[in-house]
Amino acid sequence: MPHKWGMAVDLDRCTGCGACVTACHAENNIPTVGPAQAARGRAMHWLRVERYWEGDFPDVRLTFRPVMCQHCDAAPCEPVCPTYASHHTDEGLNAQVYNRCIGTRYCANACPYSVRFFDFFNPQWPKPLHLQLNPDVSVREVGVMEKCTFCVQRIRAVEIDAKAEKRELKDGDVKPACVQGCSARALVFGDLNDPESEVSRLSRSPRGSKLLEDVGTLPKVTYLERQTQV
Amino acid sequence: MDRRDFIKLTAVTGTSATLASCGNSEHQLIRFVPDEDLVPGVAEWKPGVCPLCAAGCGLSVRVMEADVETVRNGQAGVVKMGVAKKLEGQAGHPISQGGLCARGQAAIQVTYHPDRLAHPLKRSGARGAGELKEVTWDEAIAELVGHLDALAAAQDQKSLAFLTRPRRGRRLALAAEFLNRFGAPAPVPFELFGEEVLRRANAISFGHEQLPTFDLARSRFVIAFGADFLGTWNSPVAQNAAYGAMRQGRPGQRGAFVQVESRMSLTGANADQWVPVKPGTDGVLALGLAHVMLSNKLRPADAAGRAGAAIDGWSGGLADYTPARVEQVTGVSAKRVDRLARELVELGPAVAMIGGAPLAHTNGLFHALAVNALNGLLGAVGQPGGVFFTPGFQPSVPGPQVPSPQALQNLSAKVLLVDDVNPVFGAPKAWKVREALAKIPFIASFSSFLDETSSLADLILPDHSFLESWVDSTPESGALEAVTTVAGPVMKPLYQTRATADVLIEVAGKLKSPIALPWKTAEEVAKSQPPAPSPQSPPAARSPERLALRKYSEPVFDGDAAQYPFHFLPYMSQQFGDGSTAHLPWLQEMPDPLTSAMWSSWVEINPQTAERLEIAQGDLVDITSPHGVVRAPAMIFPGVAPDVIAMPVGQGHETFTRYASNRGVNPIGILAPATDAETGALAWAATRVKIARAGGGNGSLIMFAGEMREHPHEHETR
Repeated sequence: MPHKWGMAVDLDRCTGCGACVTACHAENNIPTVGPAQAARGRAMHWLRVERYWEGDFPDVRLTFRPVMCQHCDAAPCEPVCPTYASHHTDEGLNAQVYNRCIGTRYCANACPYSVRFFDFFNPQWPKPLHLQLNPDVSVREVGVMEKCTFCVQRIRAVEIDAKAEKRELKDGDVKPACVQGCSARALVFGDLNDPESEVSRLSRSPRGSKLLEDVGTLPKVTYLERQTQV
Repeated sequence: MDRRDFIKLTAVTGTSATLASCGNSEHQLIRFVPDEDLVPGVAEWKPGVCPLCAAGCGLSVRVMEADVETVRNGQAGVVKMGVAKKLEGQAGHPISQGGLCARGQAAIQVTYHPDRLAHPLKRSGARGAGELKEVTWDEAIAELVGHLDALAAAQDQKSLAFLTRPRRGRRLALAAEFLNRFGAPAPVPFELFGEEVLRRANAISFGHEQLPTFDLARSRFVIAFGADFLGTWNSPVAQNAAYGAMRQGRPGQRGAFVQVESRMSLTGANADQWVPVKPGTDGVLALGLAHVMLSNKLRPADAAGRAGAAIDGWSGGLADYTPARVEQVTGVSAKRVDRLARELVELGPAVAMIGGAPLAHTNGLFHALAVNALNGLLGAVGQPGGVFFTPGFQPSVPGPQVPSPQALQNLSAKVLLVDDVNPVFGAPKAWKVREALAKIPFIASFSSFLDETSSLADLILPDHSFLESWVDSTPESGALEAVTTVAGPVMKPLYQTRATADVLIEVAGKLKSPIALPWKTAEEVAKSQPPAPSPQSPPAARSPERLALRKYSEPVFDGDAAQYPFHFLPYMSQQFGDGSTAHLPWLQEMPDPLTSAMWSSWVEINPQTAERLEIAQGDLVDITSPHGVVRAPAMIFPGVAPDVIAMPVGQGHETFTRYASNRGVNPIGILAPATDAETGALAWAATRVKIARAGGGNGSLIMFAGEMREHPHEHETR
C-alpha cells in the first residue's frame, strides 16, 4: 500500500513561536521579497501562523494556528489547472510541477486556505546568501506558483535511503523542516495509511478537526483543538 | 588508486599549472582540493552551537559541497568547499532537544550576510563618517599592539577597557585573563535586557546567583509573572519543549498555566488565564497569593525557608498583602487572588516564574524576591515540576554583571575594545554612550558588521562567524544537569576574518612586554575548563545586606503622570531579540506572531485608548517621554492595558546593513535612565509617555495578514 502523508497540529502544544515559518524558508529556498513588495501582499510564507483574537481587554484571548497547504484529497486547486502543474501524487501529496506551470493563478484563486504563492519576479539572493540554498529544492523563477510540498525532498531522500538499505520506513523517519524545528512538538508528520503511526493516532483524537471541513476539500492536516483549564 | 583519488590528483595538477604564478603553491592547493571528503549532493552533519542568545542551543549543521567565490592569499577565485546549508537543533542535546527557534533557524544568514565585513578595516575619515580602508591583518594587529604598548609605556594599563556581552563562554574568560595580566580593569558587560535583578534575588532567596531552570514538563500548574518564557526569555527552546510536554505529554493530565502581565506576550497568549496587572506591582500579587495560602493554612509558612525570611511580614502571615489590598494595588480582584491561590495548592505541583518587565522597575528586586518566596511556599524549589539551578555553573567573569550607566559613561579609557555588543543602539540615549565613546582616543571592534557602535571604531578586526570557528557554551540555565557544548568549525572561513580569541592571543604575544596566556589557540580556549569552583561559602552567606527584610515600595516612574499618562513598555522582539538580529532578512520578513507585521516598527495601543484619541490602525503616532520622541505607526492591539503603550525593540537601526538600516524606530532611545534601587540594573519599564496622532499612515506598517480582527468595523460599533 502506498504511503498517504499527513500531518497533525496540536494547538494545545503550539505556542505560536514562528520557528516553523523560518525553518520552512530555510529548507525550501523561499525568497524574501523585501518591504516594498511585502507591502503589496507579495511576501511568500508557505507556512504561516494565524491569530484569532477573542474578547476585549482584560478578558482577551488569542489562539495561534499554523497553516500550510492542507494537501486536500479533493483539492480545489487541481482540477482548475489547465496544464496539470497542480496535481495529486500516488502518496496523496498535492504537488506542483514548476516546469508545467504557466502562471494562470487559477489554483491560488481556487484554494480556500490561501496557501499558494505566485512568483512575481525572479528571486534574489545577494551573494553570498545564495550559499544558504538547499540543493535538493529547485529555485522557482518568475511566473510560477509555489506552495508547501510537505518537504517532498525529505520524503524522497528517506524513501531512497530505506530502499537502498532494503528496509521499511519507520514512523517518524520523515520530518518536514517545520516538524523537525518545532521544539514544543506541536507538529507531527507521518503515514495516514499506517493506523499505528502517531499522526494517525492524533488524527483520530476527539479534539481533532479539519480546517474549513465543510467545504469538502478532505484535508490531510488535522488540527487538535487547544484545551482550556478545567 | 581509486577513481576518486585519480580525479583529485588531476585536479591538483591542472590547477597548479594554471596558478603557478600565484605564489605559495601549498596554499593554492588548499584552494582547489578540498581536504574534506565531501561527495557532491551528499550531506554531512556537524555539531555547532547557536550564538544568538545565551541559551546555548546545540546545533546540527547540514554541510554540503558548494562553489564559493572568495579571496585566498590575495587571489580571487572559486573554491569548492563544504558549506553550511541548514541549521537544526541537535537531537539529544539537553537544551535544544532537536528543536530550534526562529532566530536560531535564521542564524545561518549571519555567516552568509552580503554586508559581512570581509577583512580588517581602518578608519580613514572622520569618526563615524563610514570612511574605512582595507588593511592587512599584520597592519591591523601592529596598530592595536602599538596602542597597547603606548599605554604600557605610560604606565597607564588601567586605561584599557573591554566592552562585551555578559557571560559569553570561554572567550570572555580569555578576555578577562588578557585584561587581568595586562593590568586593565575587568571586562565591562552590557546587555539591555540583562538579568542581574533575578540573579541577585536568587542569590538572596536560594543562595544561587544564577538564572533558574524550570521543570515544566512535570509541573501541573504554572504561574508566570511577565516572563516571556515561550518567546524570548531565558532558554526558550528548552522551555517550549517542556511546555509541550506539560500540556499534552502526560495522558489525562494537562498542566494549567496562568500568565500575569500588562501586555499580552506570545507566552501570555498561550495561558489558560491571562491576568493583567498594573505595571510594577507583580510582587504584591505573588505575596497576596502567599497570604491566602498562609492564612488558610494551605501550606506551612516555614516551607519557604530563607526565601520567605527575606520578606517583611512573612512570619506574621503577610498581613499587609490581604486580597483586598492586592486588588487595590494590582487591579486583580480579591476573589481572583483567593481562587488562584487555592488552585496553585490544589492542582500542584505548581511553580512560579518571573522575568522581563516586572524586574525592570525601580522596585524590581522586590518582585523577584516575592515570587521566590511564593516558590518556596509552594515547595517548588528543587522538586519535580519546580524550579532548579543547573549545577556547576560558573560565570566566565566573576562579579556583578550590571550594565550600569556609570560603567558606560565613565569609560574614561584611552583604548577600548568592543566585542559583540552594540551599546550605542542598545542603551537609553540618556546614558550618553555615544558621547562617552567620542572621548575615547582609540576604539577597536571585533564586529562582523558595521553597526552603530562598530562604525565609531578606528580599527575593525572582524571575527569569524560561529560556523567558521571554535565555539563553546555552558549555559547557566535551561537544563537540569550541567551542559557544556564545544564544537569545531563546520566550514572554512569565507573571508579574511580571524577568530577573536586568536587575535587576542596574537596581540598578547606581540606586546613589548608579552603577556603569557594559558592558551595558544582559539581551539584551546574553547576546549578549556573553567577553574573548579572555590570551596568558600556560597555568595548567599557573604553579605549582611541579605538579611534585610524587603517590602513593597511603590514603583517610581519617570515622567509626571498628568503630563505623561501612559506606561511605556518596550519588549524584546520575537524576531530581533534586543535588536542584534535585525540584519537577517528571514527575520525581517517573518510575520510577527502576534500582529503579522513584517519589516516594520509599530506601537501597540489598546482599542479603547485608540478610539478615545482618534487613532486608527496604521496612523502615525508620536510617543513622547521626558527624554525624547519617536514616531511609529499604530497597531490597535487588543491585548494591551488601556494605560500601557508597548513597542517591540529591535528596529530603528541607523547603521546595520542593508536590511535593517533606517528601518523603523528604536524605542530604547526615549527610555529614562531609571534603575532598580538595589541592583542598579536599568529599569527599562519605568518610563512614562504621552501619545498623539501625528498623521495618517504612510505605508510603513507592513502586515502579512489583514486587520487584527476579521470584522474590525463590527467590533467598533459593538
